[in-house]
Amino acid sequence: MTAASRDWESLARRSTRMRRINAGLLVGFLVIVSIPVLLPFFWVVVISFSARTGGVESLVLWKACSILVSAVFIYGAVHLAEKSVRRRLIAAGILIALSALGLFLTVGGDLHLQNYRFLVNPNLVEELRGAATAGGQFPWVWIAFINSLFVAATSTLFKVTVATLSGYYLSRFAFRGRSSFLQGLLILEVFHPWMLTIPIFLVIFWIGLLNNLAGPILVLTVLDLPFFIFIMKGFFDAVPWDMEMSAMTDGATRRQAFRLVVLPHVWAGIIAISVLGFIKGWEEYVFVTALRTGNSYWVMSTYLYYVADDVMGVDYGMVAAVSVFYMAPSLILYLFLQRHLTQLTFGGIKG
Amino acid sequence: MARIELDGVTKRWGETVAVDDVTTQLENGEFVAILGPSGCGKSTTLFLLAGIYAPTAGTIRFDGMRINEVEPKDRNVGIVFQSYALYPNMTVMQNILFPLRFKSVERDDAHRQAQEIAALVQIESLLERRPGQLSGGQQQRVALARALIKRPNLLLLDEPLSNLDAILRLSMRTEIRRIQRELGVTTILVTHDQVEATTMADRIICMNGGRIEQIDTAENLYRKPNTTFVASFVGSPPINLIHGSVKDSRFVAGDRRLLLTGLSEAAHVSMGFRPERVIAAEDGMPAKITTIEPMGREILYGAESPLGFLRFLEAAPMPRFSLGEEVRLRTELEDALFFDQGNGKRIDNVSLNEFS
Amino acid sequence: MISAQGQRQVTNALVFLGPACAFLLVLLVFPIIVDLAVAFTDMEQTVIATELTTEQFRKLVKPNEEALLGFELRGSFYRALAKTAVFVFFTLTIFNVTFALILALTTTALPDWLGGTFRAIWLLPRMSPSVVYALLWIWVVDPTERGLLNQVLINVFGMEPVNLILHQPMAIIVVANGFIGASIGMLILTSTIRSIPEHLFHAARVDGAGSLSIIRHIVLPALRWPLSYITVFQALALMVSFEYIFLIMGPARSTMTMAMLAYTKTLAPQIGSGQYAYGAAITLILIVIGTALALLLYRLTNMKTLLTNPKIEVQ
Repeated sequence: MTAASRDWESLARRSTRMRRINAGLLVGFLVIVSIPVLLPFFWVVVISFSARTGGVESLVLWKACSILVSAVFIYGAVHLAEKSVRRRLIAAGILIALSALGLFLTVGGDLHLQNYRFLVNPNLVEELRGAATAGGQFPWVWIAFINSLFVAATSTLFKVTVATLSGYYLSRFAFRGRSSFLQGLLILEVFHPWMLTIPIFLVIFWIGLLNNLAGPILVLTVLDLPFFIFIMKGFFDAVPWDMEMSAMTDGATRRQAFRLVVLPHVWAGIIAISVLGFIKGWEEYVFVTALRTGNSYWVMSTYLYYVADDVMGVDYGMVAAVSVFYMAPSLILYLFLQRHLTQLTFGGIKG
Repeated sequence: MARIELDGVTKRWGETVAVDDVTTQLENGEFVAILGPSGCGKSTTLFLLAGIYAPTAGTIRFDGMRINEVEPKDRNVGIVFQSYALYPNMTVMQNILFPLRFKSVERDDAHRQAQEIAALVQIESLLERRPGQLSGGQQQRVALARALIKRPNLLLLDEPLSNLDAILRLSMRTEIRRIQRELGVTTILVTHDQVEATTMADRIICMNGGRIEQIDTAENLYRKPNTTFVASFVGSPPINLIHGSVKDSRFVAGDRRLLLTGLSEAAHVSMGFRPERVIAAEDGMPAKITTIEPMGREILYGAESPLGFLRFLEAAPMPRFSLGEEVRLRTELEDALFFDQGNGKRIDNVSLNEFS
Repeated sequence: MISAQGQRQVTNALVFLGPACAFLLVLLVFPIIVDLAVAFTDMEQTVIATELTTEQFRKLVKPNEEALLGFELRGSFYRALAKTAVFVFFTLTIFNVTFALILALTTTALPDWLGGTFRAIWLLPRMSPSVVYALLWIWVVDPTERGLLNQVLINVFGMEPVNLILHQPMAIIVVANGFIGASIGMLILTSTIRSIPEHLFHAARVDGAGSLSIIRHIVLPALRWPLSYITVFQALALMVSFEYIFLIMGPARSTMTMAMLAYTKTLAPQIGSGQYAYGAAITLILIVIGTALALLLYRLTNMKTLLTNPKIEVQ
């Protein structure tokens, strides 16, 4: 057979080379396209720790960037060249230590926590702004923080409860009109509350909940609700019927079976939609302003918006610090629970 | 066709060792089965040969040339997966033609070859259908055709029959063997079903825990198993294994003693004998029937005896004993096997007497 | 016995499905009806409707009187329509579909930890609060030398600073929304690619297919439905979204899409002028387009698995 006369050696060399080149190209491409996404975030963090009153210190950013980017590229080269996990870890450790040292030597002196003093000083914004502009009283940032937390937590609780209950019912119960209900839900998925801002404002106005934290909380509960119900239905669909049947044979009622046997199996889904729901509630801006909640209650989004509006020309550093403070809870939550987010399956799409 | 060698091949994923120091050769045109329980590393071995996984250590050679780093596409192997892995968006014809896309084969020539192969596996009438419209047996034939069309050096079959029903399995067994003989392609079949392995393969590699336990013909695996694992895995119903120790040149199990020579004093050994070597007879030891399993041609009994639990066979149709019945059993031990309990290896040159 | 069963059926429906129905009816279905009604009134700042009229639609379709023969698209509604089309088309084709596909394909080709890291980076814009994200963009495109983009242009490429807000406003909102929009498609496509049986990839590699052939023959056929779903759904989401546009560009005429127009004419903080009926009329047009897309979406959904009947009949 011709196979015997093949040059296996060169085939192997060529494929190994091709694999390396391909992997290198892929990573290179992803690094290049990801830099524009990541750089602004990195920038705002750097500003918040380095800017002094009156301007943006961009030198710090570029120094820090050049050190970190070169460290990442050196590690990439080491990773490709070195197979042993232990040596890779050692290389990573050395690089981290070196770049920490480099950062300390080059920009260490420029770093300070002055921009974060709004966290401890209740009247800071007022003092800074001085007589520059007129307008409503700026509260202490923690008041906005607690209001935002309340809005995000309450709406998430509502949304998750509603979605879980109805997801289970739609997955497991036979009732008249079930298929029309599901099809109707599918259509409602299309009507994003943003589209309906004006009529929702009117409805909330007629109910009498303008100027109130309850308005945004209710709207946030409905935001993406059909989508969340389908996600939960998908999770419930994946729980084997046998388990529920055996629970009921063992004497449980449907509601007991739901609580004791089925619910523990959909925790992943509940965590996933809770994270998504919380992050949405934490960032809410449109309905907080549209439903006039902002007139009486400060939340983080309006706080940052007006800080940026009023203080911008004067103190970039503090605006950056407020931004970092505002996005930290979202990002921490996301980083810790992102494993659950990638498990979401998007039910209903044709396979 | 190719001569395949594995030399000290090992595959590790982190701490888990899937394949552990496997060394063996396959001759040109040979049909070899890898037999073992699930998780024994048999499918991993197959994927190592296909190039889907790369070995952590050791060398794989085709016709004497090291091919460890060669990509699957360059190895010219055909593989039939347990799930068949047919491309769902392509017709049967397109599925079969797929491997030829990547070789410089003329369109007409490719179609002619596909027709030939389709005729060989008897699916000419299905060429325009899609995999979703085929039965399991038909999908299996398509997968076989796709694996064979490139005239592979090596044909790999990963549990190809396990998703078929019993009757279809029987006919596909003969069918695959016929096609393999006709083409003379070196073939490896991975299976956990000993009947499949013994009926189809020239030689059987018995694997457990990533290691090769024994490479032999079906006959020898049954008569001369090298280890307790092979002894108990090959053969249905399974062998009777009696655990005991050696004291004063006697094998002691329970309150029974067996005079023998060739075993070292105080060794912990197991004695194995097939169920057909246990016979109900008046002069035997007392035992009590605890299980009855009708198996068609024969009935398999289980009984508690002074030696422990013993299996034995009786001709069907009517059960001669009932549950709980006291019987007397005699063991014929001339071809009994002895194994070291420490390493599980067979101990040869043991000669023995009757139980006392 | 039967009545007890029937009663339990009713309470079950109330407990499990009641809350969802209440929320959806009051805050999603009812507003659609309200919008339908208000669009045909003269409701303004006072939130009182005095008469039924098609005046709002006449206002919408009326061409600018100063334009000769009414050919020039200078009426704010026609301009908004055109801007919406440009915005949705470019964001969708470049980012929400193409880039989502590229990200899903490239990150799944890498080892999991590395691909996951890149996916996490691309999810960052979606996970950070909208006001922060918008602020970042304002700083990035700042026309002075302090803007991040200009710093890069000047220091890295040695170019002149640019003023994108003045010269390329549409590009800003396309990219800003695109960075966010790519992530949803990326997640859906990644999970679809992951769900392709591993054996298909193995079989293709053994059959001699290279990476590109595997993408063409194995991956893309599996992505057909998800891609159409993403296209339809994201087109709709982009059409109605105004949050980032408003936060980055403010009520600038250069980026006034339909959703922006409705928002600024009614509820936008400080500038909204409370022309509710006019906004409702624009919203009604969005609702009509949305319903059309919903029907399209309908065909992309696997009704059979969605509507599979439950297996337990006890209540």
